[in-house]
Amino acid sequence: MSAHEKREFEPKIVGFLCNWCSYAGADLAGVSRIQYPPNIRVIRVMCSGRIDPVFILEAFKNGADGVLVSGCHLPSDCHYLSGNFKALRRVTLLRRVIKEFGIEPERLRLEWISASEGDKFAAVVRDMVEQIKKLGPSPLKMKEGEE
Amino acid sequence: MADGKVGAVLVVGGGVAGIQASLDLADSGFKVYLLDEAPSIGGVMAQLDKTFPTNDCSMCILAPKLVAAGRHSNITLITNAEVMAVDGEPGNFEVKILKRSRYINEEKCNGCGLCAQKCPVEAIDTYNKGLTDRSAIYVEFPQAVPLRFKIDREKCIGCRTCQEVCKANAVEYDQKDTEVVLNVGSIILAPGFEPFDARLKSEYGYGRYQNVVTSMEFERILNASGPYGGVVLRPSDGEIPRKIAFVQCVGSRDAQVGNIYCSAACCMYGIKEAIIAKEHVPTKLDCTMFYMDIRAYGKEFDAYYKRAQEEYSIRFVRSRVARITEDPSTGNLLVHYVGEDETPRVEEFDMVVLSTGMKPPKNFEKLAKVFGIKINKYGFCETDPFTPLETSKPGIYVCGAFNSPKDIPESVAQASGAAAKAMAVIASGRGKLVAAKEYPPEIDVTSEEPRIGVFICHCGINIGGFVNVPEVVEYAKSLPNVVYAEGNLYTCSDDTQKRIREKIQEFRLNRVVVASCTPRTHEPLFRETLREAGLNPYLFEMANIRDQCSWVHMHQPKEATEKAKDLVRSVVAKARLLTPLKNPTVNVTPVALIIGGGVSGMTAALELAAQGFEVHLVEKEKELGGHLRKIYYTLEGIDPQKFLNNLVKSVMENDRIHVYLGAEVTEVSGFVGNFKSKILHEGKEKLVEHGVVIVAVGATEYQPKEYLYGQDPRVLTQHELEEKLAKGEFNAKRIVMIQCVGARNEERPNCSRICCGQAVKNALKIKDVNPEAEVYVLYKDIRTYGFMEEYYREASEKGVLFINYTDACKPKVSNENGVLKVSFWEPVLKQEVEIEPDLVILSAATIPNPDNKHVAEMLKVPLTKEGFFLEAHMKLRPVDFQTDGVFLCGMAHSPKFIDECIAQACAAAARAATILSKKYLEMEGIVANVDEDLCSGCRICESLCPYGAIEMTEKAGKVVAHVIEALCKGCGVCGTACPTKAIVLGHFTTEEILAQVRAVLKEMIAE
Amino acid sequence: MEMEAEPPKIVCFMCNWVFCGEELQVPYNFNVFRVPCIGRMDPVLILETFANGADGVMLVGCKPADCHFVDGNLHAERAVKMLKKLLNLAGLGHGRLKIILFSPLEDGNFDKYAKEFSEEIWVLGSSPLKNAELAPKITANLAAAKNAASAFRLRVLLGREEELTELENAYGERISEKDYDALLDDIVNAEFVRYKIHYLTRDKPLSVRQLAEMLGLKPSIVLRHITNMRRKGMISMYRVEGNTPLYKALEVH
Repeated sequence: MSAHEKREFEPKIVGFLCNWCSYAGADLAGVSRIQYPPNIRVIRVMCSGRIDPVFILEAFKNGADGVLVSGCHLPSDCHYLSGNFKALRRVTLLRRVIKEFGIEPERLRLEWISASEGDKFAAVVRDMVEQIKKLGPSPLKMKEGEE
Repeated sequence: MADGKVGAVLVVGGGVAGIQASLDLADSGFKVYLLDEAPSIGGVMAQLDKTFPTNDCSMCILAPKLVAAGRHSNITLITNAEVMAVDGEPGNFEVKILKRSRYINEEKCNGCGLCAQKCPVEAIDTYNKGLTDRSAIYVEFPQAVPLRFKIDREKCIGCRTCQEVCKANAVEYDQKDTEVVLNVGSIILAPGFEPFDARLKSEYGYGRYQNVVTSMEFERILNASGPYGGVVLRPSDGEIPRKIAFVQCVGSRDAQVGNIYCSAACCMYGIKEAIIAKEHVPTKLDCTMFYMDIRAYGKEFDAYYKRAQEEYSIRFVRSRVARITEDPSTGNLLVHYVGEDETPRVEEFDMVVLSTGMKPPKNFEKLAKVFGIKINKYGFCETDPFTPLETSKPGIYVCGAFNSPKDIPESVAQASGAAAKAMAVIASGRGKLVAAKEYPPEIDVTSEEPRIGVFICHCGINIGGFVNVPEVVEYAKSLPNVVYAEGNLYTCSDDTQKRIREKIQEFRLNRVVVASCTPRTHEPLFRETLREAGLNPYLFEMANIRDQCSWVHMHQPKEATEKAKDLVRSVVAKARLLTPLKNPTVNVTPVALIIGGGVSGMTAALELAAQGFEVHLVEKEKELGGHLRKIYYTLEGIDPQKFLNNLVKSVMENDRIHVYLGAEVTEVSGFVGNFKSKILHEGKEKLVEHGVVIVAVGATEYQPKEYLYGQDPRVLTQHELEEKLAKGEFNAKRIVMIQCVGARNEERPNCSRICCGQAVKNALKIKDVNPEAEVYVLYKDIRTYGFMEEYYREASEKGVLFINYTDACKPKVSNENGVLKVSFWEPVLKQEVEIEPDLVILSAATIPNPDNKHVAEMLKVPLTKEGFFLEAHMKLRPVDFQTDGVFLCGMAHSPKFIDECIAQACAAAARAATILSKKYLEMEGIVANVDEDLCSGCRICESLCPYGAIEMTEKAGKVVAHVIEALCKGCGVCGTACPTKAIVLGHFTTEEILAQVRAVLKEMIAE
Repeated sequence: MEMEAEPPKIVCFMCNWVFCGEELQVPYNFNVFRVPCIGRMDPVLILETFANGADGVMLVGCKPADCHFVDGNLHAERAVKMLKKLLNLAGLGHGRLKIILFSPLEDGNFDKYAKEFSEEIWVLGSSPLKNAELAPKITANLAAAKNAASAFRLRVLLGREEELTELENAYGERISEKDYDALLDDIVNAEFVRYKIHYLTRDKPLSVRQLAEMLGLKPSIVLRHITNMRRKGMISMYRVEGNTPLYKALEVH
């Protein structure tokens, strides 16, 4: 490998998707063969209300450049009645917290994606990758790299 | 089968009604054959974008039911098929079925879709209503069940391409139609409806003007996976419309095209489409709806209608559109109509949506012949108001739109009701044709090091064509605790299941990982394989390297391979931590408690008793019958009292039904399968144990405060008028009826549903008694939906005057020196009119029972804002509560007619039977668990749980949370909020997810 | 006169086996390329020849029963049929492509046939590609035609034509030549239009109406093609300007 070879920064994004809507939406993107950048790694949870801030922080700590949290549309699509509202509250608060750590709040994104929105899932990933490329690697990762 | 009753049911029609009926039957221990003419189940609901009045995504709520029906071990799907002949009698029918060739071997096809990608021929996509194309080999939609392809023989040129690309060798061009003979005990017909062909209403230009579309086409246009990706476009030029007109009653309430009935659902779906269009159009959009009456008669429908006006600024114009013409230079449409002021007007729109009505299924004549059932004059199935689910042929039942035009929740309620009927005839055959599966004893792996086996699927070339599977297999072998890894052509195939079982034995695997498609469809299959090999099914995990990897990164094989490795690594990290979970079981007391002894409660009681279950029926009055005691004749002219007397007699004489009159339920404790309740009866408290509760407390009539009611004896309610008419005490000559008294106002925004029918019924009776009598009906909208429309027509023809009023200009009733006067605005004459009637009849609202609140609190179930009981889901669970084991029917749910109460009561009985028929209930293993040492008793989890599955108990002098496993649905919200991390959701523990997070981001460090 | 200014440039692909080792007499404006069999000529290559400025292309193969590779000549005839459709769509006209199955023993001097074709092209004039005004459009058309010709759909249909029209299809039926031709017409047309839309929206997002004007088609037909192209991942809605969605090509692999 050439030492001077400059590779474009490829962000690593962790996606936490609820089983019933958003994970199904991501599946539909696949069934419809909608292409999007391969930067996201999805972790399935039953409900967006299950997504613990600890998971998100752990993702950033381990070098994620972005985190996507996605659940069923507000107000009434949630399979478990109101988990999505809980996710909304947690992510909103957590955005403030990560700012304190020096992580740009834009790196944590919350989206409502239904089981029929394969297109939207792909568009969200595309957009996030683009946005995070502009932001550059996660500041947490930079620090680690300096060590 | 001592009495020869066959414990199997044939359900004809795989729409939402057929699916619901099948699930209820299968869950109650009967074998079900679910037949559909289409290649997959789902019916019309699978084509809808959203559903009213909750705006839920239709596919999102339907897909789990499709999957459940497809996977149920008691349900056999027979798609692409038709019933040719039926012979026999209730309890034992012989049915001949013609199964048309798909040209695809259903056993071999795994739905990978490669054939469709390569097929060179395009055909019109009927699922998308012809707005785009599909290939000649196809599935109707991506979520189709069964996910088996079919060749469109009309279009296929036989080029053999699909056969060559199919790695599963599923294509069989020489497959023939086959005849199948089935033995069933009863039959349910749920063939649905056929949309009205809008071409027949030629003055609206459908088929000539491209921008005139039908409501079904518009559903697809709105849908994110539809032809336009969910952005509303004009078919003529792809522009986003600025102004859309929705034209109601196309092919309904229209003698000219031969359909005089109302199609019952169009007003609501029209409003929904207008609302969703506004949400889907990024620019400014004006929606106008041309209607005759807005028939928002269902539960919470009027509130939705109000939101459409107020929040979404949808314009409503009361008018019948005369014709539509096109401006050929722009493709815009000119809507010609006569305004309420009788002035002809023309307005230009970018697009027109025709709300087309419902016709009977195309083959209704054949259905009638084959099943030997009677058809009504419109071509729908003939039923009686008191036996709304029974066809004219014993043992054959009907539900859904084939019964009469109706919306989804009513179809679902009827479906469950029909299931109850179908079960009752063959109750003795229950469990006879369904075999419980035997599994080997479970191997205890708790003390073992994880030994993980990884199976990676090529999915033909769906994964293998883009992801380097051998490389991923080699990589998997390098991961900690992985002792075995292999690639498979299709990991889901039968022979691979056998292989997985063999490898579990050979390598003493105690965790299994499959990297293939989505766990949403395939996890149950692999879990089953683990069980068959003696492993706990929860020692399994899946990596989705197809739908979320190879298919979406088709042009980046290197990156896709890296991603697949990351996903496998992440899932292996989780698998290392997996622990076996038990499916908790609870015993079931096969007894029902029914609160309320009206027609609904009694019907539910009789249905359950007919199935062999014991019932406690509690009525607060001294007499059974409820509201029905006040009804003397129906719109169809039948005497309900005779029916009621028979019903009461059957209930009283039934050994399995214990009736408590003048009694009250004072306490309910426990949970599904195991309730304990106290009944206060004749001054004594009786303790009963039961497995389910059915709420059938009915409703009550509003006592008007308006229009001099109670002050002037000439002002009566419809019920009081009915009594006078029935008893021959009626002799008035001029009658004014005022509709919506106490309903559709600020306090109670919703419609009472039954009053329009009641007014028409009484008006006709008056005309019967005295043809010379003048009858004026002052109304907001006449809501004689469905076949009732006929009677509205008849009343108009007989000279009953229907005069519209608005909230802004309500009628006034006064007593001037003993003369009763009514004044109102006459919109046609455009002037105030005053008349002096002999009687003023108020159509008083039906309002919730005042003690609903008490019952709701006791059962921990919710009420609507107005105070009716609120079901689990407005669309698909109309008689269930969110709390398992508690059901709902009749007017306690919302106002409704007798036939609707009976259908719902049967439905509640069927739903209850799915529980009562089991010795014990097996629950999902993924539930929350409390570490009592860590629990601080803070009650946060208790308040967050949406299912009331957490209760606080005292353990060793400490208050701690306790999970009622039978109620827990496994969302995990509690664990996320627990400050001491004492409550944990199995299979999604914090450690498991964190391990996944770490692993997906970093190479795992071998320990 | 203009016509005398420059003789047409004609490229002739000739089967090696027609004139085995014999000296061949052709007009000076004929560029002859010997190929092992004209059945092996990729349609894309022929379109490429036009894209490089040929005024006419002639294929010369063996007599029907004489093909060294059994039926390469017949296959070439079918390919020419499809190519003529594409050339019509591309605005070059079908007359610029000709195939003859030739035998020096039976048909005599080849020179006669070459001159005849040369004259035909002379009458048609030079390729519209040489007209500065038409060139961009024709270039776009030829690019679309090349992509259409290399699309899987068309290649399958071409490859299976003999089997389906002369032998039998998977159901043991034979499809009439007329029906097959109509089907081929539809598909050639659709693929050409779709790849043209794809070509046009590569650099600049365009609306349905703009595309309709450029293609001389009804907007509704363009929209239908776009729905199918979206389904196949060829194009996506790029943004909305006012009430007009603009579409942009996606990379097709």
